[in-house]
Amino acid sequence: MKHLFAMGAGAVAALALGAGLALAAPEPDPMTALAGRPAGADPLDPMTALMARPDEGTGGEGNAELGGLPEGPGAEDTFYQCVACHSTEIIKQQRVTDHRWDELWTWMVERQGMAEPDEETKKVILTYLKTYFSSER
Amino acid sequence: MLVDPNHTDPQSRDDLHSNSRRAFMKTTGLTALGAMLGMVVPFERNLPAGVIPVALAQDTGMDLMSDKKGLVVLGDRPLNAEVPAHLLDDDITPYEHLFVRMNGLVPQTALDQNAENWTLTIDGEVENPLELTIDDLKSRFENVTSRLVIECGGNGRAFFQPGTSGNQWTVGAVGCPEWTGVRLSDVLKEAGLKKTAVYTGHYSNDVHLSGDEEKEVISRGAPIEKVMEGDTIIAWAMNGEPLTALHGFPLRVIVPGYPASASQKYLNRIWIRDKEHDGAKMTGDSYRLPAYPVAPGTEVPESDMVVLTNMPIKSIVTFPETGTEVKAGEQVEVRGHAWCGKGNVATMHISVDFGQTWQEATLEPAANRFAWQRWRANVTLPQHGYYEVWARATDGDGISQPPLSPVWNPRGYANNIQHRIALVATA
Repeated sequence: MKHLFAMGAGAVAALALGAGLALAAPEPDPMTALAGRPAGADPLDPMTALMARPDEGTGGEGNAELGGLPEGPGAEDTFYQCVACHSTEIIKQQRVTDHRWDELWTWMVERQGMAEPDEETKKVILTYLKTYFSSER
Repeated sequence: MLVDPNHTDPQSRDDLHSNSRRAFMKTTGLTALGAMLGMVVPFERNLPAGVIPVALAQDTGMDLMSDKKGLVVLGDRPLNAEVPAHLLDDDITPYEHLFVRMNGLVPQTALDQNAENWTLTIDGEVENPLELTIDDLKSRFENVTSRLVIECGGNGRAFFQPGTSGNQWTVGAVGCPEWTGVRLSDVLKEAGLKKTAVYTGHYSNDVHLSGDEEKEVISRGAPIEKVMEGDTIIAWAMNGEPLTALHGFPLRVIVPGYPASASQKYLNRIWIRDKEHDGAKMTGDSYRLPAYPVAPGTEVPESDMVVLTNMPIKSIVTFPETGTEVKAGEQVEVRGHAWCGKGNVATMHISVDFGQTWQEATLEPAANRFAWQRWRANVTLPQHGYYEVWARATDGDGISQPPLSPVWNPRGYANNIQHRIALVATA
């Protein structure tokens, strides 16, 4: 496993280089999505290297009291808001864009009967989700 | 607002449960319910043993997972679990190895295996609306048994870049059990379709995650021409046994070739529509794809999203399990299944050199239309080292599986990326 972590560090450098080139050439380049991909979580299952993002994004196990959500500003608000309907498992699986989180929020309120909290709480929760369960950062 | 299940018999508990919940909903509304749950859940450990908050009393189905073997649980509420590829090796997927996809909670009737007074209503754009008991279905229409692939529309979602929202299914939200029921087309012929009939709308009695009893969990359908082809059935049995609580007791639709969300569980009504059905999860971007190819990460206006119909050509390697050690220079069998939403798998190929060369696998005929097909190939790995087996099926129109995810879509549907396993050859 040590060997894999070493590869991961190399991958980060390659990714940074890829990002720099992308800035120089604004045209979309599908090869950038393939450059410096991190190794899969399981070296003996090649499908894990093709997944959207390996698991390290959530920072390990998270807070067991909060359904395993990672500690951070808004974790508690997020837990209380979400588990009224579903468990945290579906949250922890997500790696989506900020825009998608906004869309999901609207969908849950308008179509799924979610009780909308006050504006401040909403902002705190969405910021938390966009920080820890993002495809953008 | 607490019910002690130990101090009431099941019947009265149900009555108490639904009556008190209804009363509660009526007087305080959903917002208060959400707030109440928010307070109750984290302190569940402080509740007296056996006492559960009323709104949480409806079962997620998690207890039933003890009869499933080796599944990976993606979420417990709603319950969603997929199957590692090597556990899908059977020609007919057994109960213990069939994936679970719940949009809501398991209805009490299914948990109790109680189909008393269950009826199926056929109404809408028909000459003679029907209300059929399960015995009516069994006795008035020809009974059919066939192996039909059922695959979640989001199977393979985990491989889209950037990530898309929903359960991150990898390759195991698929199976091919043997279903017994009647053709939906026969039932609709008896009801007499009006010329205005264009789409089915499926309904059931499962329970919404919010606890709101009025809310539809999911209500999808299929075009009339699809269901009149005769492959779509209303099933009451799987692998010769009554449907189980997790898979739709007592009745469900199977629309083979379509995303499994069209194959409504706990079925009690089919509403024949005069337009594309607009029930829960038919609209917005649920089970929809952009009408034109988009760059990864693009947000697509709702008006440009179209309903996902046929699932694409696909295959999996079910033997050996990924990571298996084999002897270099010795022949080993690699095998799996191939299937296609259009029902026309044509050829199957595998590569053991990262897609540089491909060898044709033998493809056995389908047991019936829309059953998955067994493929087999013998491979001899030339020397010790690390190999991957890549599997690629091709349909009758020459369309095959891509080595990386196909065109990105906002909700990550219909990903038919080639399945790969690792083989480690020893000297």
